[in-house]
Amino acid sequence: MSDPLLVLDHVTVRAGGRALVEDVSLSLPRGQLVALIGPNGAGKTTLIRAILGLIRHEGRIEVRGRVGYVPQHLQYDRGLPMTVLEFMALSLQRLPVALGVTRAATKRVLELLELVGAQKLARARLGGLSGGELQRVMLAGAMQNRPELLLLDEPAAGVDIEGEATFHDLIARQVRDLGVTVVLVSHDLSVVSEITDHVICLNRRLMCEGNARDLLTAETIARVFGGHKAVYGHAHGHDHTHHHNHGNHRHD
Amino acid sequence: MTEFAAYYLGGSGTAVLAGVLLVSLASGVLSPIVVANRMAFFSDAVAHSSLAGVVLGMLLGLGHPVLSMAAFGVMVSLVIASLRQRSPLALDTLLGVAMAGSLAVGLVLYHYVRGYSDLHSYLLGQVSLLGWADAAILGANAAIAVVLVALFANRLTLVAVSRNLAQARGVAVARYEYLLIVMLGLVVSLSVRAVGILMVNALLVVPAATARHVARSFAGLFWASIGVSLAAGVTGLLVGDVLNLPTAPAIVSAGVLLFALAWGLGRLRGTEA
Repeated sequence: MSDPLLVLDHVTVRAGGRALVEDVSLSLPRGQLVALIGPNGAGKTTLIRAILGLIRHEGRIEVRGRVGYVPQHLQYDRGLPMTVLEFMALSLQRLPVALGVTRAATKRVLELLELVGAQKLARARLGGLSGGELQRVMLAGAMQNRPELLLLDEPAAGVDIEGEATFHDLIARQVRDLGVTVVLVSHDLSVVSEITDHVICLNRRLMCEGNARDLLTAETIARVFGGHKAVYGHAHGHDHTHHHNHGNHRHD
Repeated sequence: MTEFAAYYLGGSGTAVLAGVLLVSLASGVLSPIVVANRMAFFSDAVAHSSLAGVVLGMLLGLGHPVLSMAAFGVMVSLVIASLRQRSPLALDTLLGVAMAGSLAVGLVLYHYVRGYSDLHSYLLGQVSLLGWADAAILGANAAIAVVLVALFANRLTLVAVSRNLAQARGVAVARYEYLLIVMLGLVVSLSVRAVGILMVNALLVVPAATARHVARSFAGLFWASIGVSLAAGVTGLLVGDVLNLPTAPAIVSAGVLLFALAWGLGRLRGTEA
């Protein structure tokens, strides 16, 4: 692979003497939409946090570009009076946001919100946003440093199906129009098969990696997820196929 | 009325008024950060710990125990911050231990203080006795609050909104948490002489809590917090003077009254969270 954007070389993350992620090696090219799939507790979030440099790891992680990130859950104080514009300007200007948002920051925030079709939310209160709106704002925020690698940790969790579809279209657009490589953590196999190019299957160890359509066979899914599983389509015309793991429902 | 004006504007009460305005400014500026970071209980713990600093100053024969108070306040803040990073215990548990421990140390040390000691004024504050030396200390206090907030408010606010997100955006979260804790430790200790150990925490919590009911933006919250803090300070000072009430509790009472009014107004306007 010529000039990969992300290289993981024998990456292991341990906590309390236990390996949460073990001996993962892979490299990702630029301009692809990559799905990171695996059951609950497989180490998906842990691997994302290691790539972001937020937790200690063994092995080598090399990111050859700027990184944007949308966390799995934004636990924040919904009662805090803060507009979307102010929230996004927090990391775009030196002047304290409490003294006002600068003209340059306002322009940049509106550009970023336009990328996700959410310009009208600029003056909305952060605490009043719906799940889908917050997700778009977070995606716009993650794009602020013009990332080459965008890490999205189950961004569609808790969002209705229509909102989820719109969000996935937005992500696909970032890849197509801006050449961003997106790593999308998901347990939704329909997303993987419909919009992603490349799949990484993780269950503590790297279970498989390659082209989405080639890999998503019943056999691979069984091997990665294990246990009792159900694969079904939603009745709203969108052939969403979900994996449901009835084992441990632990957040990783 | 003219008697009041003469006393506070040019007379010996000018230092008192200046002290109240400066302590109100410092707490009004910091209050939104304290409330957003859920540090209300922390500032209370540091305030209680400053009793040990006061008593230590008395034992050392310091005329004005500001140095021992500030040193002890910052030390307790750093211990709490360090335990917060390392201990699996919840912050409120750590604060409970720190508050009770430092209060106990203060009371044990007080046992060794001989002769007259003005401990009462440190518990309830002694606004009416503030002189220009106190006003200068409170001026430094306000300057610390304003400068640090001007420099770091955005990052401190991002950490308050989401620690995870701030970390991912390259903010050294632990360093900013230490900074906030030390800044609060210092400001609380320096404010104790004016408003008292028992009242200082209210000054850091009530302004932003009040402003949250009516503000629609963070800028609105910030300015409303300063406004509430200054209004409560001046109202408490003057009403306390007229009715011959202890000033610090009168200031806090004025703040709580504004809180109740803002809550009602927020419900009417639909901005109440």
